Amino acid sequence: MTILLVFAYILLILIGAFLLYMAFKTDDRRYIYAAVAFYVIFPVIVTLKLPITTSPEVKQLYDAVEALPDSSTVMLTFDYYPSTLAETEPMSHAALHHLFRKDCKVITMTTIPLGGPSIAERVTRKLAEEYNKVYGIDFVNLGYKANYVAVLKGMGTSIETIYPTDNSGTRLSEIPMMENIENYSDIDFIFVVADNSIVDYWISIVNAQYNNPVGTGVTAVMAPRYFAYISSGQMTGMLGGMKGAAEYETLLNKPAAANMGMTSQSLVHLFIIFSVIAGNIIFLTSKKGRDGKRT
Amino acid sequence: MKTTVPVIAAFLSGFVMLLAFFFNPETSFLGRLEPEVLSWVTIVGGFTLLLGVVSIIRVNYSSVKRKSSGWGYKLATLVSIFAMAIPAIFPVRWSSLFGTGTGSIYDWLFNYIDSPMMSTMFAMLAFYIASAAFRAFRARNAEATLLLITATLVMLWRVPMGEALLQGIHGNLPNLINTYIMNGANMAVQRGIIIGAALGAAAMSLRIMLGIERTYMGK
Repeated sequence: MTILLVFAYILLILIGAFLLYMAFKTDDRRYIYAAVAFYVIFPVIVTLKLPITTSPEVKQLYDAVEALPDSSTVMLTFDYYPSTLAETEPMSHAALHHLFRKDCKVITMTTIPLGGPSIAERVTRKLAEEYNKVYGIDFVNLGYKANYVAVLKGMGTSIETIYPTDNSGTRLSEIPMMENIENYSDIDFIFVVADNSIVDYWISIVNAQYNNPVGTGVTAVMAPRYFAYISSGQMTGMLGGMKGAAEYETLLNKPAAANMGMTSQSLVHLFIIFSVIAGNIIFLTSKKGRDGKRT
Repeated sequence: MKTTVPVIAAFLSGFVMLLAFFFNPETSFLGRLEPEVLSWVTIVGGFTLLLGVVSIIRVNYSSVKRKSSGWGYKLATLVSIFAMAIPAIFPVRWSSLFGTGTGSIYDWLFNYIDSPMMSTMFAMLAFYIASAAFRAFRARNAEATLLLITATLVMLWRVPMGEALLQGIHGNLPNLINTYIMNGANMAVQRGIIIGAALGAAAMSLRIMLGIERTYMGK
């Protein structure tokens, strides 16, 4: 089986090299597209288990959640659009695994009108079923409310003022879990999963003004921006892109979608790097040739 | 009147929120003023959404009526708006197909049409990035070469196969990238951008509160 796997991946590398050669030869970008498609799809069919090392930012977030007393109240946000589901949904899954495993009370919410409440509902109910959690006792979905700055600020005074009802229209006063939860002071940790700059507001409003610890899961493109907040202590750890989610899954010993995606991502990254290097070698040699002809 | 009232409203709202940051609303004269202003912001936010929907319907409807170029796409936009909105507006007690809950028409349209379409559009980026990197990422000068080397190192560091490759070169290389590139150069630049943007936002807020900046009124 291992020999077959090695053979399959050698074949895949050769196909990629051939497609890259054809792209250079014919100057047709469709060969590049074909190579990327191969590298994305093939590892999904023939999965390779790669060793995942944990970065300090992910470990910090894991440790912060792990250190919460059992039955703590945690707010988990689904601040992402469906376009980035591949990166962000594994983070939400991993976070819920961790929180339900620790018997935490989970409040979910979103600042994204397009599908945010649906994603929160789908993901949370799926994981709740696995851990035998009951809606209204172990978790609540607050849904969406317009104008996120006012929502984030307003929940500092009263969650019920901002969200008089949950996502399905039940009054918060009728939900047992929300009986003793009035505002941020009753929430022990905030886990923000986002694909946009809402993270800045969670830091500048909720962490800075209400002292709530905020941990985040963001897309790989966004991650470099938030190292500054981790260093200043305003952010308690971060999952950066699918790799961050894979690291969290590994720490939880629950390898899932993010771990599976690592092979595709590795191969595509390596292919891009290889094509950039090859492109530069051709660029430099052709430039040298042109310069040589001129002199 | 058309200018004075919005300027006074902007000043008072901004001033209340500014004071609320420094004083405890429960013990100070502010009382319930801050949550009251925030409720108003949420209500006005709801109306802006409505305004957006009305505007998009008007623009697209007039194009469909005139059968201007691409009117078919505009018709698709209108049909999509109504198909998503109308079943979501009706109360759930009429039928489980209404509302936005699991099993509703809205939920079905979102999960099986909207979500795959948005994911597909975003996934196309990978192909364009690969093609653009191969064609345009050239070491033309010292700055471009530095960017090329840094990007290559970070791209390798962000994936397990690349990380293993870096560890093969030098066992501590991934940690060095994290320390010196991400938590060093990158963080210093990002911090500068964040502080600069925050100062800009503070200055802009002050201009709005004092009525100097009036572009939000269309002036």
